[in-house]
Amino acid sequence: MKKGQAIIGSVASATGVYLISLMALTCAMLSLLGIEAFLNPGRVQWQPLLPLALYATGVPVVLIWLALNHWRGDSGVLGSVIVLSAMGVLIQFRMGSYDAIDLKTNIYPLLPLALGLGAFVMGVTLTSKGRGGWMQMLGWGAYFLAIGVLVAMMVLGKQYRGGVYLSGNINPTEVIKPLLVFFLACYLSQRQKDFSDTVSGIPIPSFPSLLGLVIFWGIPLSVAILLRDMGLVVLLNTILIVMLFAVAKRLGFLAIGLAGVAAATFSMQFISSHAQARFDIWLNPFIDPTGKGWQILQGLTAMYSGGWWGSGLGTGAPETVPIVTSDFIYAAFAEEVGFVGCVFLLLIYATFYSRGFRAAGVTRTPFERLLCVGLTASLAVQTLLNVAGVTKALPMTGITLPFISHGGSSLVTCLFIAGLICGLSDNE
Amino acid sequence: MSEWLHKFMTILPEEDGVRVLKIIFLFFFGIVALVILFAPSPAPGKMTYRMLRAGIVVLFLAVLGYQMTWQIGGFSRSDFVRYMRRYDKRPTPVARQIMRGPIFDCRGLVVAAPRADDMWGRRYPYGNAFAHPIGYYHPRCGITGIELLYDSYLNGYLQEEDTLEKAKDLFKRRPEEGPSLTLTLDARLQETAFDLLRGRKGVVIMMRPMTGTILALVSSPGFNPHDPGPASIEENMPAFNRATQGLYPPGSLFKIVIATTALMEKRSPIFSCPGMGYVAADNTPPIRDSEYYSCERRGAIWPGWGNLNMREAMTHSSNVYFSQLGVACGPEAFNAMMKRLHINEPLIYMKSVDDSLKTVAGNAPVVRYRSKLAMLAIGQGEILMTPLHVAAMTAAIANDGDLMAPRVDMAETVKKLDTLCSAGVAQQVRSMMRQVVISGTGKACNLPGLEVCGKTGTAQVPNGEDHAWFTCMAPEKHPNIVVTVLIENGGFGSAAALPVAKEVLLAADRLGYVRKPEVMKILKSTPPSVGRKK
Repeated sequence: MKKGQAIIGSVASATGVYLISLMALTCAMLSLLGIEAFLNPGRVQWQPLLPLALYATGVPVVLIWLALNHWRGDSGVLGSVIVLSAMGVLIQFRMGSYDAIDLKTNIYPLLPLALGLGAFVMGVTLTSKGRGGWMQMLGWGAYFLAIGVLVAMMVLGKQYRGGVYLSGNINPTEVIKPLLVFFLACYLSQRQKDFSDTVSGIPIPSFPSLLGLVIFWGIPLSVAILLRDMGLVVLLNTILIVMLFAVAKRLGFLAIGLAGVAAATFSMQFISSHAQARFDIWLNPFIDPTGKGWQILQGLTAMYSGGWWGSGLGTGAPETVPIVTSDFIYAAFAEEVGFVGCVFLLLIYATFYSRGFRAAGVTRTPFERLLCVGLTASLAVQTLLNVAGVTKALPMTGITLPFISHGGSSLVTCLFIAGLICGLSDNE
Repeated sequence: MSEWLHKFMTILPEEDGVRVLKIIFLFFFGIVALVILFAPSPAPGKMTYRMLRAGIVVLFLAVLGYQMTWQIGGFSRSDFVRYMRRYDKRPTPVARQIMRGPIFDCRGLVVAAPRADDMWGRRYPYGNAFAHPIGYYHPRCGITGIELLYDSYLNGYLQEEDTLEKAKDLFKRRPEEGPSLTLTLDARLQETAFDLLRGRKGVVIMMRPMTGTILALVSSPGFNPHDPGPASIEENMPAFNRATQGLYPPGSLFKIVIATTALMEKRSPIFSCPGMGYVAADNTPPIRDSEYYSCERRGAIWPGWGNLNMREAMTHSSNVYFSQLGVACGPEAFNAMMKRLHINEPLIYMKSVDDSLKTVAGNAPVVRYRSKLAMLAIGQGEILMTPLHVAAMTAAIANDGDLMAPRVDMAETVKKLDTLCSAGVAQQVRSMMRQVVISGTGKACNLPGLEVCGKTGTAQVPNGEDHAWFTCMAPEKHPNIVVTVLIENGGFGSAAALPVAKEVLLAADRLGYVRKPEVMKILKSTPPSVGRKK
C-alpha cells in the first residue's frame, strides 16, 4: 500500500464512519426526543443530552489528534470503536442512564466517556508506530498488580449477583483482564520456542515453562475461583487458551483448551450455588419462571417483541427486564432495533475483532503480537459470553457488553484496550 | 426546543414518524457496518489469525442463529408463548395479539369463538351444555378442558416436531388468527341431552360404536363457562365432570360383561334361582333378586324365578343367576376380561402435543377366589367405572366385540384398543339385550322401527338413593349409535335413566344417526400425528 493512500485511508475513512454514525445517532435522537416531547410536552431536559454532545465533539478531537500524529493503523478497528461507543451512548441515553446529570451537582455519568476517550488516546500513544515493545518490562509489574487487586477484592469486595465489586460498585475485574494479558504476553513471548514444540504433531511444551505457567496462572485463577466469579474464570481461561494458540500455532491447543475451559466452568457449579443456579436456568428457565428464570425470560420476551425490525427506539419496553442497562443491554437493543439491528451490531463487533487479530500480523516484536491477540481476545470473549448469555445460548456469566453496557470501569477499560489495539495496528 | 420537536412529531403522524426514523437509523447503521467491513487495512492476512477470525465469525453466527429461534421463531415454543401471554408487561404484548381460533362441532356449528370486542374474551353459544367437554378460557379463572389442551394450537403457535418444518416456521409471518378445531360432538344432541337431564346430577353419552366417535358428552349440572368462578363452590359439584372423572358402580350393566365372559368360555348354563337367593360362600350375605325386596315390602314372599337360562336371566336382570354365572366363569376368565376391557387404565379421549384428556382409571380388583365373583358379577362391591368407560364397553358389544378408543377430536384417527369377544358372541349378547327391551326391564324403550337393545342398571350406593343406569344401542343387527345414561341417586334405572335415553334416541333418530350407518371416511384420513396445520 502506498504511503499517501494509507494516510488518507486510515483517518479519513474513520472520519467517514464517524459522520455516518452521527447521522444514525441524529435519527435515533429525533425519534427518542420526539416521543419524549409527545409524552410530556415541554418537559424535555437538555442536560441528559450532554454525553451525546461530548461524544459528538470528543471523537473529532481524537480524530484530529490521530491525523496530526500521522496515525496509519487499521481504520476498521478505529471505525468500529467509534460506532460501538456511539451505540453505547445512544442506548444508555434511551434507558435513562444520563437523566441524573446536572452540571452543577452531578457530572459523574459524564466522566466515563471523557476518561474513556482520554484512555483511548493514551492507549494509541503507548503502542502506535511500533513503540510498544518497551512495555514488555511491565509484564511482571502488571502481574503483581493484578494479584494485588484480586486480593484486595477478596478482602474488601462484596458479592453482588455473582460478581465482586469494590465500594462505589467499581468492578475491578475489568482491570485484571488487561493486566493479566500483559503478563501472559510477556511470559509467553519470552518462551515462544518452548510452547511451540511438538511431539509427532501434538503440542508438548517444555516442562519448566509449562510448570511456571501453571504456577503463575494458578495463583490469580484460584483467587478468582475463591471469589466465585464464574464470568472472570471463563474469561481468563479462554484468553489463556487463545494466546497459547497464538504462540504455538497449533489447533490442538485451541481444541483441548476450550474443552478444558468448558469442563472447568461446568464444574464451577459444584462450588458455587450462584453458578449452579445459572446452569439450571440455562438448561430450563421455565422451571422457575417468576424467580430465577425471570430475568432471562423477560430478556427473551423483549427480543420476541422486537421481531425482525424492532419496535423503534423509545417505543419498546425493555425496562421490564431487570438490570437491563448493564448485563442485559443487548436485550434492550434487540427489542428496539430488532434482529436486523443485532446482525449489524454483531457484524461491527466481528469486524473489530477480526481486524484486531489481523493487526497482530503487522507488529514488530512477539510481545506486541501476543499483546494484540490477547487484548482482542479479551474483548471478543467478553462480547460473546454476554450476547450468548442474554440469548440463552450459554449460561449467564454476568459479564458486560464492551462499549455498550452501563458501567464506568467497563467503558474506560474497553476504550483503553481498544486504544492499544488501534495503536498496535499501526507500526510505521 | 420541545415545541419544535412536538411540531416535528405532528408533521408525521406519531407512528409513521417513529417508523421512518427507525428505517433511516437502520439504514445508516447498516451502511456504517459495511464501511467498517471493507475499510482498508495495513495488515496482511496470516494463517493463524485467519483461523481465529474464522472462529469469531462462526461463534457469532451461531449465537445469532440461536437468538433467531427466540426473537423470530419464539412462537414455536409453547412454554415460552405461555410465559409471555402471562408475564409480558407490555401494553400490547405481541404474544396476545393473535385472535384465538374457534371450536366447531361436527356439523360446523360454533361452540366456542373469540369475542370481537375483547382480546381475551371467549364466547360459548351453547353455554352450560358444553361447559364440561370444552372447558373454558377465562381471563381471571384460567383455562381448562379442551381449551387448555389445545391452547397453543388455537393461539396459532404451530408446533412441528420436524426440524426442517421448525426452521421454515422461523420465516413465517406470525398468524393473525389461530386455526380452528373441529370436534366430533353434535351440538344439537348435546344440548337436547343436557336439557333432558333438567339439572339433575347425571351423565349422557352418545357414541358411534364403529369408530368410538363421541357425539354427546354431557355432564350435569353444568356451569356457566362465561363465569366459571362460582361453579366450584356450588352444591352438587357442577364443575365436576361426571362423565369422565366420576367413578360409579356399574350395577346390573355389568351383567353384559359377565354374559360376554361366559359366552366366550362357551358357557350358557341353566341355574336354579331360588327366592331366598344365592350364597356363594359361608359368611357372605345371600345375593337376592330385587323382586325379593319388593315382595318383602308388600309382606309377600318371593318364590324365585325357578330355573333360568341366560337369556331369561338377562331379561329379568336376575342377580341370583348372574352371581352363579360369575362364580362359574372363575377368576381367570374374569381377570382376563377386565384386562381386555382396560378397566384399570385411564381412557384417553383427546390428545395434543402438550397433553391429553383422559378419564380417571376405573377399578377392577384382581380376583383370586371364585366366591368373590358373586358380588362383582352384578356390578357391586369393589368394581367402579366411569360412565365413558361404560359407554365404550357397550360400544364394543355393538361393534362386534372390538373395543374402540373414544375420540372427540375430528382429526384423531380411529384406533382399536382391544377385542372383548368374537362377533358371534357380541351378536348373542345384543340379542339378549334386545329381549330386555322387548319383554324385560327395558320395555319402555321399545321404539318402533329402531330395534333398540338395552340394559337397565340400579347400582346400590352406601348412602342415598341408588344410581340409575341405562345403556343401549340401536338397531340390533348393525348398531349405529350407543347411548349411556346415568342419573346419580336417581332410583331405578328403568324409571329414571331409561326415559332420558329414549328421548335422546328419538332426537338422534330425527338427526339421522340411528337408521343410517356411519360413513367411515374418517378411517381413511391420514393421521394428524403431532403438528397440525390450518
